[in-house]
Amino acid sequence: MFVTRSEYDRGVNTFSPEGRLFQVEYAIEAIKLGSTTVGVSTPHGVVLAIEKRVQSPLLESSSIEKIMEIDRHLGCAMSGLVADARTMIDHARVTAQNHAFTYDENIKVESVTQAVCDLALRFGESVHDEEAMMSRPFGVALLIAGIDEKGPQLYHTDPSGTFMRYDAKAIGSGSEAAQSELQDKWHSQMTLQEAQVLTLRVLKQVMEEKLDHHNVQVAQVTPEKGFEILNETQLKDVIETM
Amino acid sequence: MPAMLSTQPHGLPHPHMQTEQGPQQRQFNPYTENGGTILAIAGKDFSVIAGDTRQSEGYSIQTRYAPKVFRLTDRAVLAVNGFAADGNMFVKKVRQRLEWYRHAHAKDMPLRAIARLIQTMLYARRFFPYYVYNILGGIEEDGSGAVYSFDPVGSYEREACRAAGAAQSLVQPFLDNQIYFKNQTPAPGTSHPTHLPLPTVLKLVIDSFTGATERHIEVGDGLEIYVVLAKGASTQALEGIRGIQETTVTNDGERVFIIQRELKKD
Repeated sequence: MFVTRSEYDRGVNTFSPEGRLFQVEYAIEAIKLGSTTVGVSTPHGVVLAIEKRVQSPLLESSSIEKIMEIDRHLGCAMSGLVADARTMIDHARVTAQNHAFTYDENIKVESVTQAVCDLALRFGESVHDEEAMMSRPFGVALLIAGIDEKGPQLYHTDPSGTFMRYDAKAIGSGSEAAQSELQDKWHSQMTLQEAQVLTLRVLKQVMEEKLDHHNVQVAQVTPEKGFEILNETQLKDVIETM
Repeated sequence: MPAMLSTQPHGLPHPHMQTEQGPQQRQFNPYTENGGTILAIAGKDFSVIAGDTRQSEGYSIQTRYAPKVFRLTDRAVLAVNGFAADGNMFVKKVRQRLEWYRHAHAKDMPLRAIARLIQTMLYARRFFPYYVYNILGGIEEDGSGAVYSFDPVGSYEREACRAAGAAQSLVQPFLDNQIYFKNQTPAPGTSHPTHLPLPTVLKLVIDSFTGATERHIEVGDGLEIYVVLAKGASTQALEGIRGIQETTVTNDGERVFIIQRELKKD
């Protein structure tokens, strides 16, 4: 399998004779090693849920941070190399703040997604004589959830810098099973509660451990309260109704 | 033409002492003032933005037709007064930013966003300002008529009406009295209206400019009145108006009209 790939999978910006960028493809593979992350869009808001892999009983599970706020109306969940996502979310936050500063309005979900994807393809690029700031593609995929004048939206970005809008999307190790489950269960008139339950049910199916409030995290973006990570009691309630 | 470099000799040089000249002062003076006046009035579901078309420097008229009011989008009109060269450049840069925004975000910039953008653009030149007073008029996202006025370094505020330029001191008190009903006591049991109808506003605009033309030498020649109507607002008030033209680009949204009139040329 790897015979044909030799030589052409070294340089990040070198196409293979078949027209492929192997480093980018490997980066996409890296995401499939990450923990499962699910996003569901409804007319009332967008729900994000992640699995926390608690590798040791001594690990403080609250220190696993895989859902982050970009702006009051924008949230983000990740899968893959979480450290890489920090650079991207930093960029997204600065872009969102700059937009609000210059235009006195919230940035659109698509625009902030586009800004993140612009960054994703800037690997191997250096500014005049400076060192290149990133020498490899980002090894992380994001689910960007948000609300703007077009309503609640969910976007998926990958290391190739492409982004697509989804009604419901799963990424990470359990994404294949999770995605087909979402396809079966998602419908366009879901309530927020139904979406919360759906994301956890999907996670439960693909998780090895028993799902509880320590090993999952749920967040949502609603028109009323913007981005919020569900607290312990809210999360326990959802797990109970599930 | 603004004098780019002017020399002011410190006293007259003595004819026999060519080598021993007094101290000389030089200064960079890149600005001039080109006269004219602009004004804007916001209604409930419309906005009127007007300006005369005379451009002058000192006692001489450079041209009788130099527009000071510009359609930016179908819901935003910008009037620029002060140093004409700066004004034209500023409008050009705002338009460029609007186009970039359209490409980046696939929509026209809302009025409130244009107002903030103008602030950031003006303040970016805090220490070499565009010598212009801007008045932005149009329709907000909620469909209400709006006027934003700016100082040359970007301080801004949303108002119901504003005049700026050479005859500001003549026109603004008139508007304060007629729009805000300042120094008028309502008849017992009645109250002043919060929004005036479009025909009344148009009459006030025309009267403001004929009045300013009479009393100020830098105002006159021509008058351009832009009317921005909110989506679905009635065009009845505009029917049969002499010299009216529609300049709307998009369908089924806000509409922009321009009324051109003559002013006295003396």
